[in-house]
Amino acid sequence: MLIFQANGAMMKLLRVNMKQLQVEWDQVPTVYEQLGGRALIARLLLEEVPPTCDALGPHNKLIFTPGLLGGAGVTTAGRLSVGSKSPLTGGVKETNAGGTTGDALGKLGIKAVVIEGQAEQGTLYLLHIGNDSAEILPAGELRGLGTYATSDRLQEQLGADCTVISIGQAGEFLMLGAGIATTGERDQRSNHAARGGLGAVMGSKGLKAIVIDKPVRKTVPFADADLFRTASRAYAQKLINDPKLGTQGSQHLYGTASIVGAVNEMGSLPTRNFGSGSFEQSTDLRGEHMREVILAREGKIGTRCMPGCVIACRNQYVDEAGMPIVGTLQYETIALVGSNLGIGNLDDVARLNYMCNDFGLDTIETGAALGVAIEAGLVQFGDTEGIISLLKQVGEGTVLGRVIGNGAVTAGRVFGIRRVPAALGQAMPGYDPRSLKGNGVTYATSPQGADHTAGNAFGARKEVNPLGIEGQKELSLKLQIIAAMLDSTGLCLFARPPVIADPQLMVDMLNGIYGWGWNKDDLDRFYRDVLRNELEFNRRAGITSADYRIPEYMREEPLAPHNTVFDVPDAELDAVFETL
Amino acid sequence: MNIEIELFGQLLPRTQRRQTLSVKRPLLVREVANIIGLKPEEVGLITIDGVQSEMEDTVELGCRLCFFPHMSGG
Repeated sequence: MLIFQANGAMMKLLRVNMKQLQVEWDQVPTVYEQLGGRALIARLLLEEVPPTCDALGPHNKLIFTPGLLGGAGVTTAGRLSVGSKSPLTGGVKETNAGGTTGDALGKLGIKAVVIEGQAEQGTLYLLHIGNDSAEILPAGELRGLGTYATSDRLQEQLGADCTVISIGQAGEFLMLGAGIATTGERDQRSNHAARGGLGAVMGSKGLKAIVIDKPVRKTVPFADADLFRTASRAYAQKLINDPKLGTQGSQHLYGTASIVGAVNEMGSLPTRNFGSGSFEQSTDLRGEHMREVILAREGKIGTRCMPGCVIACRNQYVDEAGMPIVGTLQYETIALVGSNLGIGNLDDVARLNYMCNDFGLDTIETGAALGVAIEAGLVQFGDTEGIISLLKQVGEGTVLGRVIGNGAVTAGRVFGIRRVPAALGQAMPGYDPRSLKGNGVTYATSPQGADHTAGNAFGARKEVNPLGIEGQKELSLKLQIIAAMLDSTGLCLFARPPVIADPQLMVDMLNGIYGWGWNKDDLDRFYRDVLRNELEFNRRAGITSADYRIPEYMREEPLAPHNTVFDVPDAELDAVFETL
Repeated sequence: MNIEIELFGQLLPRTQRRQTLSVKRPLLVREVANIIGLKPEEVGLITIDGVQSEMEDTVELGCRLCFFPHMSGG
C-alpha cells in the first residue's frame, strides 16, 4: 500500500483514489482556498463531478471537510461536513455531524479528504490518516459489521483516541437511506452525517471506514490571534447568555427533544405516516419526560457531541437497569421513529434508534419509509415488535429490508402507497409542511431536498404566521442563507443566534484565522454563493422545479388538528431565489 | 368560564404544569401570564388552541393556552 508523507503547515487536500488504491496530498487549488464545509462541497462538485453521473458510480466523489472554523477551538464549530452527489435526490448533498472529526481534520490542516473512483467490486478498505501520513488498508474483516462494532474494533487496533468514520450494513448494501457515523470523545459513537444516502456513496467506493489519529502538537495557525481570540470568546459568551442555549436553557436541559410539546401543540408533529399533526401520546415523548426518565435511571444529560461545546444538548438514554441504549436521543428521531410510527414510548424509540445507528441508517429516511410500510399494512402503527422485525431485515439485507432501507420514495413505489412524505426524493423531517409552511417552502426549494437543517422556520412566528402563506418565501430564503453560513463554517445549527445578531463576530473569527480582510459584504456573498453553486449543480444534473415540489396529497388532504393543506403557490416557490 | 393553561419546560418549575383559570371575560395572553406569575421575557413561544400567538393576542373563554420557554428547532 502506498504511504505518502505530508509536510508543511499549508492547508492541503487529501485525494484518495479507490481504483488505484493510492493517496495523494495536493495543494489546495486557488478556487477552493476560501471555502470549507458545505461551500467547498458545492464548489468542488461543480468543478469536478459530472452532474449527470451515476451517484453510485466511479465518477462521483465523496468529500469530508471541516468548516472554515474547524480545528480553531471555536465552541460548537467542529462539525464535519460530508458531501457528494446524492443517490437519493440526484442533486448536491451536504450532511454534517458532530464528534471529533471536524476538529481533527482542521488541526491536521486538511481542508478536505476527497474519495474518488471505486475499488474493485466486492473489496472493502479503510483509510488511515495519521498526523503526517495516509494509507489505504484492506478491511475485508469488517464486512457486515455495524457502525458500533466497526468503531470498537478499529479503536482497539489503532488507538482508543483516534476518530472513526464508518458505514454499517446499510452503506455496504448501497441503500439510499444509509448515512455515515463518526465517533466522538471517549466512548461516544453515534454522531451521524445521516441524510441523502451518502453512506451508500461511501459503500460504492469500497470504503468501510476512515480512521484519523488524534492530532498531536497540531494547531491552526492564526493570522491575527488577538482578533480571533476576542471574537471567539465573545461568541462563546453570547451563546452562554442566550436564554435558549445556556445552562438554564431548554436546549441544554431537554436537548433537541425540548420542542416535542410545541411542535405537537402546533399540529406539525408527524404522526402515523404524516396522517395527523398531533399525537395523543406525545406527552410521553417530550424532552421534559425524557429528562426525568434519564435522571431517574442515572443516565446522562447535558453531554457534548463536540469538544468544548457550551450548549451541551446531548444525552445518553439508558434502560431501567441503567444500561445505555443509545446516545443521543434527538427530536427528529423521536418524531420520525416515534409518533410517525404510532410509538409513544421513549424506550421503544431508543431501541429503534440504536438499530438505525448500528446499521448506519438515517432515522428520518428510515422512519418515513417504515411509516409508508405500515400504511401499506405490513404491520400496525404502534406495534414496536413488528416494526423492529422489519428494521432487522434492513440490517440483514433481505429483499423487504432493502426496500425499506432504500427510503420512503422507494418504499412507496414498491408498496403502492401514494402518501409518501418526501421532496426531491428525500423524506421530510419532523415538521409537517401543512402546518409549518415556512418549512414546506424550504423542503420544496432547497437544493438539499426536504431537509430542516437547510432552513428551519420553527419558532419564527414574530416574522411570519406558520399557518399562512404571506412572507414564507422571504423567510425561507433568509433561513436558507443562514443555514449555508452554518454548514460552511462548521457551526452547529443551534449556535446561530450570536452570529445572526452580530455578523462581525464571524468576520473577525475568519479574519483572525486566515487574514483575508473580509467585511460583512464578503461574508454575505460567500453564503449566497453556496446556494448559487448548489442550484447550478442541480440544474446541470437535470433537476427541474417540478422535482422539488411538495407531494400532491399534501396540497389536497387537510392535516388535523388545524385542517390545513400546503397551499403556497408554485409561483411563490419558484420565486424564492429571485433575490439570492 | 375557564381557560386551560399548560406550562412547558423550565417555566415556573414549582408550579403545576396544567392549570385551569376561571375568568369572566376574555383576557390578553399578557394578562394571563401576569396572573400566574410568568415573566414575558421567559416565554419563547405561545399557542392558543395550537395556533402560535403573541402576548397581545386575546385568549377567548374555553381556549387552551400553552407557554413554552425559548427553544430552537431541532
